[in-house]
Amino acid sequence: MMQRSEALIRLVFVDLFGSIIWFPIWWYTKGLKKFIKWCIEGLEYRSKQYAFKIWFKNFFVPMYGQYDLVGRLISVGMRFFVILGRGIALVAEACVYFLFAMAWVALPPIALLLALQNIFSGLFFLQLPF
Amino acid sequence: MPQESNFPTSPQAIVCNACNGDPRASVNCKQCRGAGVGIPSEYGFLIWNTIVDDFTAAIRKFRIKVNAAIHLMVLAIIIAFVAIFFWNVIRFYSFQDLQTISFWSAGYWFVSLFYLAIVFTAFFIFRISEFTKPAKELPNWLPHKDLGQTQKQTALEVSPYFSEPAMEVIESAYKIAKDTGRVEISPVILFSAVLASRSGALFMARLGMRFENVKDSLAQLIQTENAGSPPITFSREAKRTLVAAFAYANQTHRKYVSPMEIFLQAFLDSEKLQDVLDRLEFPPSYIINVAKWVLLHDKLREDHERFTMLARFKPKTSMNRAMTAMQTPLLDRYSEDLTLLALRGYLSPMIGNQKVMDDLLRGLESGQQSVVLVGETGCGKAAVIEQLARQMVEEEVPELLFDKRLVSVNLAQVVAAGDPGLAAERLLAMLHEVAVSGNIVLALYGIEALVGGGSGPMDLAETFASELDKGYFTVVATTSQQSWTQYLERRSLGKKLVKVVVPPADAEQTVQVLMAKSGTIEYKNQVYLSYAALEKAATLSLRYLHDVAAPQSALNVLRESAVLVRKSRGEGSFVTAEDVAKIVHDKTDIPVEMVTKEESRRLLDLEDRMHGRVIGQDDAVKAVAQAMRRARAELREGKRPIANFLFLGPTGVGKTETAKTLAQEYFGDENAMIRLDMSEYQEQMSVTRMIGFPQDERGGLLTEAVRKKPFTIVLLDEIEKAHPDVLTLFLQVMDDGRLTDGVGRVIDFTNAVIIMTSNAGTSYIQNAIAQGKSAEQIKTVLLERELKGIFRPEFLNRFDNIIVFKPLTRDQVVQIAWLMLGRIAKNLEAKGIRFRAEDPAVEDLADAGFDPAFGARPLRRVIQDRVDTNIADLLLKQEVDRHDTIVLHNDGTLHVEKAANPLA
Repeated sequence: MMQRSEALIRLVFVDLFGSIIWFPIWWYTKGLKKFIKWCIEGLEYRSKQYAFKIWFKNFFVPMYGQYDLVGRLISVGMRFFVILGRGIALVAEACVYFLFAMAWVALPPIALLLALQNIFSGLFFLQLPF
Repeated sequence: MPQESNFPTSPQAIVCNACNGDPRASVNCKQCRGAGVGIPSEYGFLIWNTIVDDFTAAIRKFRIKVNAAIHLMVLAIIIAFVAIFFWNVIRFYSFQDLQTISFWSAGYWFVSLFYLAIVFTAFFIFRISEFTKPAKELPNWLPHKDLGQTQKQTALEVSPYFSEPAMEVIESAYKIAKDTGRVEISPVILFSAVLASRSGALFMARLGMRFENVKDSLAQLIQTENAGSPPITFSREAKRTLVAAFAYANQTHRKYVSPMEIFLQAFLDSEKLQDVLDRLEFPPSYIINVAKWVLLHDKLREDHERFTMLARFKPKTSMNRAMTAMQTPLLDRYSEDLTLLALRGYLSPMIGNQKVMDDLLRGLESGQQSVVLVGETGCGKAAVIEQLARQMVEEEVPELLFDKRLVSVNLAQVVAAGDPGLAAERLLAMLHEVAVSGNIVLALYGIEALVGGGSGPMDLAETFASELDKGYFTVVATTSQQSWTQYLERRSLGKKLVKVVVPPADAEQTVQVLMAKSGTIEYKNQVYLSYAALEKAATLSLRYLHDVAAPQSALNVLRESAVLVRKSRGEGSFVTAEDVAKIVHDKTDIPVEMVTKEESRRLLDLEDRMHGRVIGQDDAVKAVAQAMRRARAELREGKRPIANFLFLGPTGVGKTETAKTLAQEYFGDENAMIRLDMSEYQEQMSVTRMIGFPQDERGGLLTEAVRKKPFTIVLLDEIEKAHPDVLTLFLQVMDDGRLTDGVGRVIDFTNAVIIMTSNAGTSYIQNAIAQGKSAEQIKTVLLERELKGIFRPEFLNRFDNIIVFKPLTRDQVVQIAWLMLGRIAKNLEAKGIRFRAEDPAVEDLADAGFDPAFGARPLRRVIQDRVDTNIADLLLKQEVDRHDTIVLHNDGTLHVEKAANPLA
């Protein structure tokens, strides 16, 4: 049976102190997985919004019902540039997400190292205004 | 409503097979970890093994508070560190300094704080995503990938999956057990705890239950359980309830276990509880359906979130995503974009009818590309089309409908030109726009309008059919069954459409639709709907309202009831079953409310009151009164008329009078009946007079009368004179309680009393009575011999009761004479004149008016000649003044007794 003490132990050692130990592990396992999933979902949403599939499928179908030759030519050109533009935008967004992911991986340890370095090099205490 | 089918199937809990659930042995049991009971599942042996007492409850609350405090503290640190950093940067440094590496690596103290702020932010993200969840998410909430695993042997503790309110309910169950001195938390205590909680309040409101009314019964039930001093544990049944609640929530794809699942399982687990609530007039089906109602709203909310998410991709204009469409100015004038309406949230989701939707999509994909939905008005054809629009917004449709819009064309406007040529031109121009634009699916409500079914001689069906044949556009149309048969089925247009039948909803589906729509009705009228009101609206409208099919009919009734309640009792009131019954009564004149004391007294006295007018004929009066009582107590089948009677007997014995008396006593007016003299229906053509000529909207004499007033008496006099076809027509009425009129409307006879009278076999009856034969003997001979040549056996078999009216005796004729004179007295009373008759005079009248061959009929003539005429003379000669008394003397003469003058 789950003992009463178990609840108390859980409170103190899991919620309070345990979480400090668990945090770095979580950050590079479950947390990272969650973050990457979030990035992929964002990209998926954007690519759906850009409707690449529909635009490729209708590549040679004239836009705005302009079935004459000129209409068709302009339409193909237009579609080419729109798909290209949207593709570039999607790649740019993917780059941003990539940067975020890099930051997720690197930023906390770098920030911690720099902070620790400052603190332990002595400079930190010397400069304190009080 | 079928009650059994509403019970959710709860998974079977078993006693742990490793320790047999023995409390001492189970302490170290590896399978159940001491729980003793659980449910085997793909996630392991589900158990409840959490202690709930004052201490754990306090710890749980404390833990929530501590976590909140930690989060606040971390957030405060981050804000403070960042603020200090920026404050220093602004005060002592420039933007250029920030761009140098030395600034970030020189070891400035406030830069260090900034670094720490980054670390704390990461920590904060971690804490928020892992420590703020109210509970663990149920495994089935989102589709999980590791299905197909073999059954795990380990135990799975279910308590972490219980939501915050669910845990509070369990804690309050502990308090109830403690306060009432019980040693175990039982399903009844869990149920009571949910009832007393906030979720319970919603349940009770929907059920029309007041906590005060059930409190005592529940308290008594709790008192029957084991008493003792703490520690308080969970009973084995309670553990089973909680584990089953987990399994049920998981099975129904809930996120967490909520109080509702505990409520449902506790209810299902306790037969005593079901019994007690049933006695308080809350049958199990009610309780389970209310639970379903709450669940349905949760599901609708989730569906709405999903719809909004998917609708983000749908264009907000008439342009499609592929941008191949073009402007359609003419079409826009005569139409409405249903996909745009759905996108803006104006169209509600369809409830049920999934099969119709599947058939519709299959029909569209079949190659014929066009579908017609056939069904009665109100059965939900429009709802199917609206759902299609919603699915087109979500893009959850076959390729054919992908990236298209559903446009509903107003056919009445299209044909409104009056000139068929102009209308056809308009139609073709619109179809041209549809063709060029290429992203339009047409929705045509009431496609019979194209054939002229809606408006005179206009016929665009052929034009439309030939365009449809070219296959460049897709149509989803609707029509009624009647219009389909009459206008479309045999036309080329009908042949080009795939027919999909939309069946009218049954009681269960109707209730579901009402549940789904209840929110809007409640919001609009600021009243609350009870489950009883929903159920009543569904059953009554299915039974009594046939002009519009269910669920629309029930929805209309419910809407009107809500308005009635708001106006009569104000906002915030509850709509009860009686309010719904009142609306149905107003619409149909059928008494469907609960029988009041006054009415039940009247019903029980019906025989006595009828005997006030009908002398003798005890069998007839008794049979009629009993039928009415059966009908009002709703003990009849509901598929046949209230009663089918055949009154046999000589003329003038009270056959018609009995029918009139029933009309007077029960329907309020002796003329409240449909009376047809069958001597007028001797030709074969008479049938059409009764049911109406084909395609004549005016309907027939009988069918229209019953359609307008379904709760009535249909009296068919002298049935033996009717044409045999007329009798054949009534075979169906008497058996099925319905009749189809000339235009195909089904007329409901299930609320009519059908009385037929006949003189057939009169001479036999008179002779038999003279020979002293019993009524039973007479009836047998009549059926077996006398009536055989006149009526077909299957016709006679349809009657609930064949009543033989006996010839009147002299004594009965005297009584009738008294009754008739009583009517004269009543008429004179209106003029302020009294009337009195002496006994011998009345007997003389009876003797003069008594004729065994004609019953009481000659009596009327005698009284007319000897009494009425003489009174008329007295009145005309002005020999009678107000307050005088006219006396019918022994010798049959009339005398006037002058009233004393108070002034003299």
